[in-house]
Amino acid sequence: MAAVVLLVMIILPVWASRAQPYYLQVALNVLIFAVLALSWDLLARTGQLSLAHAAFYGLGGYTTTLLTTRAGVPIAAGILAGGIVAVVAAIALGMLTLRLRGIYFAIATLAFSETLRVITKQLRFTGGSAGLVAPPLLGGSLPAQYAVILGILLLAVLTSWQVSRSRWRYAFTAIRTNEEVAAVMGVNVVRFKVLAFAISAFFAGVTGAYYAHVFLFINPFEAYSLAVSVGALVAPIFGGLYTTIGPLLGATALRVGEEALRSTVRSGSQILYGLILAVVILYMPRGLLGVWASMVSRRARRAPGASTKGAS
Amino acid sequence: MNLLALHRVTKAFGGLVAVNDLSLEVRPGEIFALIGPNGAGKSTTFNLISGLLPPDHGRMLFDGADLTAAKPHERARAGIGRTFQLMQPFHDMTVIENVMVGELFGHTIPKSLDAARRDGEAICALVGLSQLMERQVTELGVADLKRLEIARALATHPRLLLLDEVMAGLTPTEARQAIATIRQIRGQGVAVLLIDHVMSSVRDLAERVAVLNFGSKIAEGSFEDVARNHDVIEAYLGEEAGDAG
Repeated sequence: MAAVVLLVMIILPVWASRAQPYYLQVALNVLIFAVLALSWDLLARTGQLSLAHAAFYGLGGYTTTLLTTRAGVPIAAGILAGGIVAVVAAIALGMLTLRLRGIYFAIATLAFSETLRVITKQLRFTGGSAGLVAPPLLGGSLPAQYAVILGILLLAVLTSWQVSRSRWRYAFTAIRTNEEVAAVMGVNVVRFKVLAFAISAFFAGVTGAYYAHVFLFINPFEAYSLAVSVGALVAPIFGGLYTTIGPLLGATALRVGEEALRSTVRSGSQILYGLILAVVILYMPRGLLGVWASMVSRRARRAPGASTKGAS
Repeated sequence: MNLLALHRVTKAFGGLVAVNDLSLEVRPGEIFALIGPNGAGKSTTFNLISGLLPPDHGRMLFDGADLTAAKPHERARAGIGRTFQLMQPFHDMTVIENVMVGELFGHTIPKSLDAARRDGEAICALVGLSQLMERQVTELGVADLKRLEIARALATHPRLLLLDEVMAGLTPTEARQAIATIRQIRGQGVAVLLIDHVMSSVRDLAERVAVLNFGSKIAEGSFEDVARNHDVIEAYLGEEAGDAG
């Protein structure tokens, strides 16, 4: 299954570069969104529901743009530096917000993101509200750029798999459910919360940096946009929280759905999109994966003798 | 030497002194009960010992080491395990996974996932959860959740086990099983410090009892000694007589 998906993702750019560059552009947007969604989910697994993903995304974008245009740093190094700056910011923010839970944590992270936007808008060397022009990645070749974001996504997926197969999953889930109980059972809560923040921010920062070199332009309103932060959390909720597949599924369904609506419904496509989103979140609380799981278990129950779960 | 020594510990919440100048010693391998009326400071004492609350004054020694400033996870690894009065299982996990958290993180030398599962299964067997290991905790009843609380605390392989009202809400049969389990745990050399309102359980189990009232220790000794103590009768048993009247 995973191999088939991967194959399609690799063949797509080869085919699209000849026939349909539009589809490749959509696929690239899907992958950017998917990395953000997965990175948000990694943090959420420790119970930290962030509204700061735009902050890391924006920091990554500005870091690489400044480094490549002002200091002559190669783009690849600039993108990596974007991820590292985001990690440093995340560790600082993570230490400050350790004691905050739920909505208070979300508001604090939102404030962090908004503050960065205002600062960036005021400063001269970041280009103020006009923004900055970034050099193109790999000479502007769309298939090559697609390959890069595919690589970043694969790295994020491997990280997520490693987390969910290792002892980290136990620490993350325990902290998410009850920090005090986790602590008295020996889990170093501070370490794991900050660690999750750092991993999550790295991927957001790298993606933001990548975005700057693909869209060739960065300004405070788009880089630190609330839409980025909200998108990063909506996709995992839509697809299925605390999993690797869920955020990818959610990001794909949302971005493709949005694109399909835009090209078929002439006016009001955004309203229809919002409506679908609201209905899904209201009536499918465990997301697309939850629907899938209950379909499978219903079929298993209907088939006589096929179910072994009840007997075990 | 004492396993645990609280030395003149005080904790206040605003103007309310929850624990007042409390000194307490628990010896290795003994069963010690902390009793007292509601709001006497018993659960606060547990939070101070497990490190969830920092004391305002006083010191805590565990096995000779000063743990006054130690974090909860450091105390867990040093050998202090605890249960919670309100059962708080990790509801996104199965029973064995709940226990594995303690096995994985409650030790100074890290365990592999396989070793943690194997040792966790042994603990589930000890408390009588072998049949339910792969269940989601949301499917468990009260008695099994209490067992899980004990199992999770044991998973850090404590030398001191703090049991916060593990008998409450159990049927007489279940309570007898719990008492047998606690004796078995002590039989392995673990000291037990327990809070309980069920006096018959305290009398059956505890070798020594301390009575708290308004955050202060008002009596200490065998169950029979403190039951005869005038202050205790007034503060604690008197309250029950008042309820009955």
